[in-house]
Amino acid sequence: MRDLVADLRERLAVVRQGGSEAARAKHTGRGKLLVRDRVDRLLDPGSPFLELSALAAYGMYGRDADDLNAVPSASIVTGIGRVNGREVVVIANDATVKGGTYYPLTVKKHLRAQTVAADNNLPCIALVDSGGAFLPMQDDVFPDREHFGRIFFNQANLSAKGVPQIAAVMGSCTAGGAYVPAMSDETVIVKEQGTIFLGGPPLVKAATGEVVTAEDLGGGDVHARKSGVVDHLADDDAHALAIVRSIVDTLPATSGYPQPGRRLEPGPVEEPHESPESLYDVVPTDTRTPYDVRDVIRRIVDGSRMHEFKKLYGETLVTCFAKIHGYDVGIVANNGILFSESALKGAHFIELCNQRGIPLVFLQNITGFMVGREYENRGIARDGAKLVTAVACSVVPKFTVVIGGSFGAGNYGMCGRAYDPRFLWMWPNARISVMGGEQAASVLATVRTDLETDEQVEAFKAPIREQYETQGSPYYSTARLWDDGVIDPADTRRVLGMGLAVAANAPVPDPSYGIFRM
Amino acid sequence: MSAFDTVLIANRGEIALRVMRTARAMGLRTVAVFTAPDRDAPHVREADEALEVPGYLDIDAIVDAARRSGAGAIHPGYGFLSERSAFARAIEGTEGVLLVGPGADVMDAMGKKDAAREIAVGAGVPVVPSYDLDADPAGFAYPVLVKAAAGGGGKGMRIVRARSEYAAALAAARREALSAFGDDTILVEKYVEHGRHIEVQVLADHHGSVVHLFERDCSTQRRHQKVLEEAPAPTITDAQRASVTTSAVALSQAVGYTNAGTVEFLLDSDTGEVYFLEMNTRLQVEHPVTEEVVRVRGERIDLVELQLRVAAGEPLGFTQADVTVEGHAIEARIYAEDSFGGFLPQAGTAELVRWPTVPFAEGAAGGRAGSGPGRVRVDAALESGQVVSSSFDPMLGKVIAWGADREAARTGLVDALDRTGILGLTTNTGFVRALAAGAEFRDATIDTAWLDHATVAAPDSEVALVAAAWVDAVLHSPRFTDRAGDPFATDGWRVAGEPARTLVALETPDGRRELRVDVPGHRVDDVVVSEHRLADHTAVLSLDGHRETAYVNATTHKVEVAHRGQRHSFERPDAFADHGPAAGDGTLLAPMPGTVLDVLVTVGQEVAAGETLGAMEAMKMELALTAPFAGTVTEVNVAAGQQVPLGAVLLVVEEGEIGG
Repeated sequence: MRDLVADLRERLAVVRQGGSEAARAKHTGRGKLLVRDRVDRLLDPGSPFLELSALAAYGMYGRDADDLNAVPSASIVTGIGRVNGREVVVIANDATVKGGTYYPLTVKKHLRAQTVAADNNLPCIALVDSGGAFLPMQDDVFPDREHFGRIFFNQANLSAKGVPQIAAVMGSCTAGGAYVPAMSDETVIVKEQGTIFLGGPPLVKAATGEVVTAEDLGGGDVHARKSGVVDHLADDDAHALAIVRSIVDTLPATSGYPQPGRRLEPGPVEEPHESPESLYDVVPTDTRTPYDVRDVIRRIVDGSRMHEFKKLYGETLVTCFAKIHGYDVGIVANNGILFSESALKGAHFIELCNQRGIPLVFLQNITGFMVGREYENRGIARDGAKLVTAVACSVVPKFTVVIGGSFGAGNYGMCGRAYDPRFLWMWPNARISVMGGEQAASVLATVRTDLETDEQVEAFKAPIREQYETQGSPYYSTARLWDDGVIDPADTRRVLGMGLAVAANAPVPDPSYGIFRM
Repeated sequence: MSAFDTVLIANRGEIALRVMRTARAMGLRTVAVFTAPDRDAPHVREADEALEVPGYLDIDAIVDAARRSGAGAIHPGYGFLSERSAFARAIEGTEGVLLVGPGADVMDAMGKKDAAREIAVGAGVPVVPSYDLDADPAGFAYPVLVKAAAGGGGKGMRIVRARSEYAAALAAARREALSAFGDDTILVEKYVEHGRHIEVQVLADHHGSVVHLFERDCSTQRRHQKVLEEAPAPTITDAQRASVTTSAVALSQAVGYTNAGTVEFLLDSDTGEVYFLEMNTRLQVEHPVTEEVVRVRGERIDLVELQLRVAAGEPLGFTQADVTVEGHAIEARIYAEDSFGGFLPQAGTAELVRWPTVPFAEGAAGGRAGSGPGRVRVDAALESGQVVSSSFDPMLGKVIAWGADREAARTGLVDALDRTGILGLTTNTGFVRALAAGAEFRDATIDTAWLDHATVAAPDSEVALVAAAWVDAVLHSPRFTDRAGDPFATDGWRVAGEPARTLVALETPDGRRELRVDVPGHRVDDVVVSEHRLADHTAVLSLDGHRETAYVNATTHKVEVAHRGQRHSFERPDAFADHGPAAGDGTLLAPMPGTVLDVLVTVGQEVAAGETLGAMEAMKMELALTAPFAGTVTEVNVAAGQQVPLGAVLLVVEEGEIGG
């Protein structure tokens, strides 16, 4: 596990540098700050930053298979930090990566950050420095429901809900991108750096023949004094960020118009009795090696104390009440394969948490539901459906950490990405796929009629196993934003605590469920 | 003590507290007087009873307050009424009230320089050679000093270096003397170029006993305002010491002096001669250095106690033979002034005050003093949150260090001043610290004129800046800010990465500085910081191995640091402060439709940034047209009286000089 964590840190260290050395030198040479330096300055001194999907687009958009970091972090930094003591969502383009243009995953990441803001009533701060859509991939960026236009749709609707939208234009802000500041509630621009226009000088020349400089077309002075597109003119990046901080200071203490519901309140906090790093020694790296998930729970919860529910029933699923960073949580953790009893126990526990307004934490390590005639005949699908219904209809904030395998219907019952957990994180040892590579290869081999010899079967199965091996990697997942990031297991408690603190910005509505198949 | 059981202190500030401390120790009731702005002042709080008076110079009100409160004695402190014979006379005329000081007639006699000089001559005390006003100025040995007989504080005083300047200087001194003192009597004396200020403490009872308590040296002064004072005098010979002490006692006896007084002498460093200057008929500001070094039969003394006992009619109870000196003491006066900014007086709120020891309670000297155990004493009434107004004396307090020898006292004083932090307004602490630490004071080569021409380098702000950044970052770190266990604890956490450093941006005299602080890594930029203590606004840090003490007050708008006594105020950048005019092209447009009132420039004229070029009137407002930067006027498109529309080009200024 320590090797896996070292590997994770190494990968993150690479992408955190942003674009190429030349691109960074050019950027800073113009008096601009690098994107993560901007974030550091925007946030309160010492504020943590819960960066989301820093390894997005890892291994994608490259010239060849070895070009793994062609678009580091998908050319956009998103995450949650504190400004003037309150949590905010930061969305910051990295102009050192392909000019900050929007690849399909850039759009997905921007939209995901807006979802986080919407779910948790967090003000959005956009630090804009982007050339707009990545034109060669316009068909995967521009037209669809979840494409570029959705960003502005979300801005309008977030603002309509009373969730502040603030933008600082610190570089290019072209075409569709121009709407990020224009759609914001309050906007800052950096003079002689920021530009906002629907069509840049080349397009203007092509369209009308007019020859104009970028500064005259849509520079800071123009927008601050003439067009009114921006509200504040800043001297430089640092000044712009200071103005944004000042804007946040003027916001009401809580964002979002009043909504009915229960509020999460933290109590006193107690550290676990064992160090977070001891998790490395508890969890076997091979997901097939069984261990007691309680050893993980005890290293995550306050005072290592858990109030276990139905300990003696459906023992392959551990359910317990505990506290994390002072917040009550209900933990649902796999401790083996799911049987009918475990599914029923899980559904009951989830109902309890919804009734009590207690957030749920899913610790996923699941190969799936039990299969076989006996179990099918006794209706394991019916009981599995009850668990899935309970998870799907939960109104309390849900958090999922994939601490091992995430296979098949187990992913659904344990609150996979499709079940809208507020956040989903993966450990570096995690595996995710519809079934194991070996099982998939065997199933596919079975339905083939042309395989006669063992060699032929093996030759058929090998690439399938390899495909599942590759696609089951947490880095394959996080590159595609199937999760919110790969975390160091030792940070699990901290990350869950931040998630809970973030979720506490939105009320918990009353529960209601679909039909439980009885 | 039978003569009185209650004493009224006709003063404020540290001296009022000083007198009360002793009075209380002697079992006396204390009565304070105060004016309205001092309602909550420390001396009011400290006293057993406090009465409001219209002013500290209001003789009738103060004598009346003494009567009403049953005070049998009035201690005047220093300044205010302490040397006013009218006050002494008013008390002498009041049944049942005594002045803790000499009689009114003695004050009168010593108050006028010409009279005092005559008495001194009569008592065989050496005086500065003087010249008859009627004599031919061609016969004077220049330089000479022309001064008002009734003078003080440098008023009505002129140094004349040549015969040709004499007449004008005499006339000017007369004018000043008349307006300042209502008396234009003038004296002309030899002017001593290199002098040391030596003064002798005397004490006389009502039974004919007069003793001296040895001398003090107050040569470190600026424009006659004493800055550093010490006892004993470091440079005088035994013969000189014998001369001044004998003279002081002789003069006191000649004038019939009672209570504590000080006889001031000028020591001519070039000739070794000592000359009588004047007698101060009160307790001196610098009396603590005498208290620290003088022993009577081996015991320390309390001058205020001795004053009160003498006033009550008790005999001194000891003779000159009982008086000895032990060790060395140096006092630094702390003034509200910006010593490195033209010595301008300062006023404001002392937001944070840290003295090296509790005022009026003796503390151990800091660890730096090398030889033997030292002591530090603070006489001050300044405390955190107190408003310092410019309507009273700018002295805020005194820091006194005692050591077995002069060097021990000096290093003890430097250390004590390092542990003095006054924030919110600027004081001279950093200046006196630099003086006390400097070679000139160490070698006792500072004469009374030295500070008037010497330049003391302003302390560097780098250590203060690093301390400010460190403390500010630590104050934002989980140690100080968060509720316990906050998952958003301000430790700079990042997902599986190095924690972010804390950026502290501050405005300094040299422009904006951004310092990166790595709290867990113990660094401010490249400086390695180890923290020995951080509590109660006090930071004891080692910066790259050098131990430094800093007093820090971090607020929303600024971080203030006192380091080596000097106050450094670092503002935080204000996002909405004026960031200067936008770099325009020098074209002045009409900001509103209106009428041009005036055009003050012509084409080709060079103008300074901000210079008024003209004016226009619009919507009942008069607007000045100012130059956006220094340059040359290249266009004047309007004339006075002309109507202009919005945005009309009125004037154009081109940056820089033409034909440069």
